[in-house]
Amino acid sequence: MAWKIFLFILLTFVLIAGISFPIVENPKVWYQFPLIPGLKENAKIIFFHVPSAWLAVIGFLMSTIYSIKYLRKKNLDDDAKSYSAAQLGLIFCILATITGAVWAKFAWGSFWSWDPRQTSIFALLLIYGAWFALRSSIESEDKRATLSAVYSIIAFVTVPFFVFIMPRIMDGLHPGSADDKVTPGGGPIVDFRMNDSMLVIFFLSLIGFTILYYWMWKIGYKSLLYKEKLNKKLIRG
Amino acid sequence: MKPYALFKKDYHSELRTRYAINSLTMFIIVALSVILFSIGNEKVPQNLTGGLLWVVIFFSAMSGLSRAFVSEEERGTSLILHLIAAPTTIFNGKLLFNLILVFLMNIVITILYSALFEEFIIRNFLLFFLTFILSNIGLAIASTIIAAIISKAGAKGTLYPVLSFPILLPLILISVMLTSYSMIGASFADAKMGLAVLVSYDVIMLTVSYMLFDFIWKD
Amino acid sequence: MEGFYKFLENNSIFIVMIIVLIVWIGIFAYLFNLDKRLKGIEKEIEKEVEEDKNEE
Repeated sequence: MAWKIFLFILLTFVLIAGISFPIVENPKVWYQFPLIPGLKENAKIIFFHVPSAWLAVIGFLMSTIYSIKYLRKKNLDDDAKSYSAAQLGLIFCILATITGAVWAKFAWGSFWSWDPRQTSIFALLLIYGAWFALRSSIESEDKRATLSAVYSIIAFVTVPFFVFIMPRIMDGLHPGSADDKVTPGGGPIVDFRMNDSMLVIFFLSLIGFTILYYWMWKIGYKSLLYKEKLNKKLIRG
Repeated sequence: MKPYALFKKDYHSELRTRYAINSLTMFIIVALSVILFSIGNEKVPQNLTGGLLWVVIFFSAMSGLSRAFVSEEERGTSLILHLIAAPTTIFNGKLLFNLILVFLMNIVITILYSALFEEFIIRNFLLFFLTFILSNIGLAIASTIIAAIISKAGAKGTLYPVLSFPILLPLILISVMLTSYSMIGASFADAKMGLAVLVSYDVIMLTVSYMLFDFIWKD
Repeated sequence: MEGFYKFLENNSIFIVMIIVLIVWIGIFAYLFNLDKRLKGIEKEIEKEVEEDKNEE
């Protein structure tokens, strides 16, 4: 109960700080962000784009973890948890792709440029789509859970390729690509030259959205499980 | 020996009907013709031809490789397969069949492609050769395991490319990159990262397929 | 009217922030409501399980 209030306060603060704190040349006070050349006011999108992409991957990771649990114990509850995690992951993946395209438009000039990292969030979207398509084509519950679990694991194995390997070795526009002069093959999180207060807001945003994801996932899988229970009760009479 | 026996069974039934070979060959010819007709008299920029090759390879694979498992389900012989061999053996046999099919298919595609598109000139032939072999292995492995998955699902035809494309995407991206390197004649030092990624993709896919095939195959 | 438009232009970012906050409060209220209703259903199911156990 209390953590929901904490979540509300946290995300409200993040939204207020992330959107309204001014961007100035030389930040003197804690509530000012530094100016990043080329981005000016639009740098604030990082507070929303990166957590979305992060949650899209976390959603997929959780879906795969519960898929593995299902394969071991054949408990359909795990399948419901996996499904709920994937639903939310898909939503955040769509948000990440759209915010990424918007950021690309004013940073690099066009909405889509087939940069490897941009391609990989799109590939994640395709994986989610394929997973849901596979699920909808199987009737039997057990088969559906088993096959979608197997596909989830196979697809998850390709995710490290997309997130870590491809953006380093291929030419691209994100910092850290093969043709980047400053940081060739840089770290997993793009080096953004944020000052301390920006970093604080950024991590608060990441934590806040993760807690929000956890809450929505709980509501999701609980409603699936209760629906099953109530259906069984009604059938039994 | 058993995987080889399975392969021979598929090979003989293939020779009898020549279904896969015929339809695959026709598909390759049709795909190449469509591309040629759409291009018309325009010149294809050279760096485009490398990627286009892999487009043809991908779609030909999608049309031909699901037969390994789907034909068993359609003909009703999958129950017998369940009885005569362990799951790993079955996977090995089907993988062997798909490997040979992929290699044959891609050799035909590459030869036809380099004949039809004059801009497709390879400078570093050894690099292209290595890329070809490693990518074909990866293509065969990934296609076989996905074929196993969709053979148990419904809507088999349309679902196969949908499921395979995200899995094959790292393979395709790296292969296109390495093909363009081999066309501009880059040295091995530039390409060794990409080749390393291909090798790791093959190994990881093979391991994951072996671990997961039991779950797919058992009812 | 002129002064009002100038005020809106200069403070656009705060208008954005207020809209975003309204959306967020709406989402939070919806989730909170769902959570409450789910808790109610959970209690009802537990009561039914108790009754079934007592019948046995």
